[in-house]
Amino acid sequence: MTTLTGGAGIASIKDAVRLRHERPGGRAYAGLRWGAAGLFVAVLLGLVVSVAIDSSQALAHSGIGFLWSGTWNPAANQYGAGILVLGTVVTTSVAMVIVVPVGLGMAAFLSELAPRWLAGSLSTAIDLLAAVPSIVVGLWALLVLSPLFGNHVEPFLKSIPVLEWFFHGYAFGPSILLASVVLAVMTLPTVVALSRTALSGVAMADREAAMALGATRWQIVREVVFPGARSGIAAALTLAVGRALGESIAVAMVIGNSPAVPHSLIAPGATLGSAIVNQFAEAAPGIGTSSVIALAGVLLVLTVAVNAGGHALLRGMGPRRAAGDGAVR
Amino acid sequence: MYRRSAVLALSVGLGLLGAAYGSIGSLASATTTRSATTTASKPAPGGRLTPATDTKTSASVSLAGAGANSINPFFEKVFYLYHQANAKTTITYSPAGSSVGISDIEQGTVDFGDTEIPMAKKDLAKAPGTVLQVPVDLGGVAISYNLPGVAGGLRLDGPTLAGIFAGTITNWDSPQIAKVTGDHNLPNLAIVPVHRADSSGPGYDLYAYLIKTSPAWVAQVGSKPSKTWPLPNIGVGEQLNSGVATYISQKQGAIGYVEFGYALQARFTNAALENKSGSFVVPSRGSIGQAGLQAKGLSSSKFSIIYEPGPETYPLANFSWTLLYQKQSNQAKGIALGKLFDWVVTTGQKYASTLGYAPLPPDVVSLSRHTLLELQTAKGGPLFSS
Repeated sequence: MTTLTGGAGIASIKDAVRLRHERPGGRAYAGLRWGAAGLFVAVLLGLVVSVAIDSSQALAHSGIGFLWSGTWNPAANQYGAGILVLGTVVTTSVAMVIVVPVGLGMAAFLSELAPRWLAGSLSTAIDLLAAVPSIVVGLWALLVLSPLFGNHVEPFLKSIPVLEWFFHGYAFGPSILLASVVLAVMTLPTVVALSRTALSGVAMADREAAMALGATRWQIVREVVFPGARSGIAAALTLAVGRALGESIAVAMVIGNSPAVPHSLIAPGATLGSAIVNQFAEAAPGIGTSSVIALAGVLLVLTVAVNAGGHALLRGMGPRRAAGDGAVR
Repeated sequence: MYRRSAVLALSVGLGLLGAAYGSIGSLASATTTRSATTTASKPAPGGRLTPATDTKTSASVSLAGAGANSINPFFEKVFYLYHQANAKTTITYSPAGSSVGISDIEQGTVDFGDTEIPMAKKDLAKAPGTVLQVPVDLGGVAISYNLPGVAGGLRLDGPTLAGIFAGTITNWDSPQIAKVTGDHNLPNLAIVPVHRADSSGPGYDLYAYLIKTSPAWVAQVGSKPSKTWPLPNIGVGEQLNSGVATYISQKQGAIGYVEFGYALQARFTNAALENKSGSFVVPSRGSIGQAGLQAKGLSSSKFSIIYEPGPETYPLANFSWTLLYQKQSNQAKGIALGKLFDWVVTTGQKYASTLGYAPLPPDVVSLSRHTLLELQTAKGGPLFSS
């Protein structure tokens, strides 16, 4: 009967919102939100600024060549991050070569194939594995894996004709390969847990549609479920790469700590993280300390770059775009 | 002197990780507190320095220190026992490394520091006051190896050891080793030299020994020793004494340097090293003690007892030095510090032997006690009378 205009309705909603903000609790909550956000930004800025300031002496000493110079030898006052960046990238890449097929395979098994009771208990076990501190993994690798690799695994890999190019030289035990395996063990649970969640999130209707078209189980996983979960899987891998790049203690325990060009995967190596762990406590005051902090800066930039790249990738994919055009071939 | 337990290694390591992202030193302090669990029943031992002025000593004093981790087993033991006997003095020591000991004393964040290599002039200049350096223990570095079928008796001289660590001698059956050691039946096995990945006192000592004994080593890495190992690309680098020891016990053919107390506990076989008199000596409490006796006119600027002569002198030994400000603004603390370290360098020395250190020789004890007598009040008056 009376014509309630839309304008009046909007006005009353605006009033309600305004009233809510003016109440003391609302204002305090708003303050808390801004405060928390501000604190977070301040901490991040403080970190970046202090790393930048503390590493300036190293950059002044070694020049911009610090970033790619191949020699890291504090005893000779030679500081260059190049070999360490290379070592970090190589160990992380090898770890991902192991993690991607194994992790995604396990996630697909848990989400698509495993019976419910097995999937539940396996998932719990994987979550527990994710919670194992890196120092524990490192100790296990040092005491158990290192002699195993030195006496059996590395000599075996060396003896395979085609793989010889990757695995040659003396079998020390501690090596780039062992460090990569440790990184794989540490990042695998993250990849499995997050990818499984992403795979399970793909709509049942999509699967049923594919099934109705006569797709096999493998075709459904490959053509419907994986494309539908692409963004979630990419996020899982980004996290894993970030963690692998920055892991320090466990790597320092098993990599053999030799800042040389990685010519073989069974040779000892060094990463940014392992060098920071080893050098910081007794670094020479001044240039030595500053150079170690500069390594931290390089590691920070590398990690941020990977995260930014991961985000860009995610935006490019969009959420579950592929699931819509899930044409089964 | 550089012994650490695995657990300690871990806590320091974790501390370092924190420190890498935080401020220098303070976060790296994996502080352990020694506190008595039983009531003190023993009479106060040692404590022979007498305070110059009569002050009330009834107040509780807590002393904080930081520095070398190699001395930590010794400090843990003696600080605990001292607190048992003197319940009012509580001592905490953070074994974060010699460099941390020096920087913390320069910044005045601790009551005492400790370092394996005494502070140099340029470090002393950075401190706001005069720093006293007191030798508090004597330790050695073992060259340990894992050679199946060779129970002991390996003898090495400087040039051979330098060749092994520089990667020019690569097999145990090398004629050079056979010539020095007099054994021509060593196995055909690759040598794996193990060095410390972190900076270390044992590394400094071996570096200094090789400089004094091998011209080829000097030509390759120079004549100024450092705590950082100069050839990180040869062989394998492991963290801490525990890492090096673990690797030696795991890998046949491995040879490396570890703090003697550590080698003692791990029951390693150690090489006999050639000293300045041409004798080959294995590390032991006695032979390290002999090295201490060679210290003539020891001071914080003339501290090396590496490669000394004598028929039974082990050539890889060194003192550890505690750092104290001469002027103690807090008189109660100053008196507590003086009494504590007077006890450490006298009565406390008897606990050194069981941990793989040698007791300080009498000359050095006297040097330490004379240095402690130089402690002053804020106004410059003497804190103790002898």
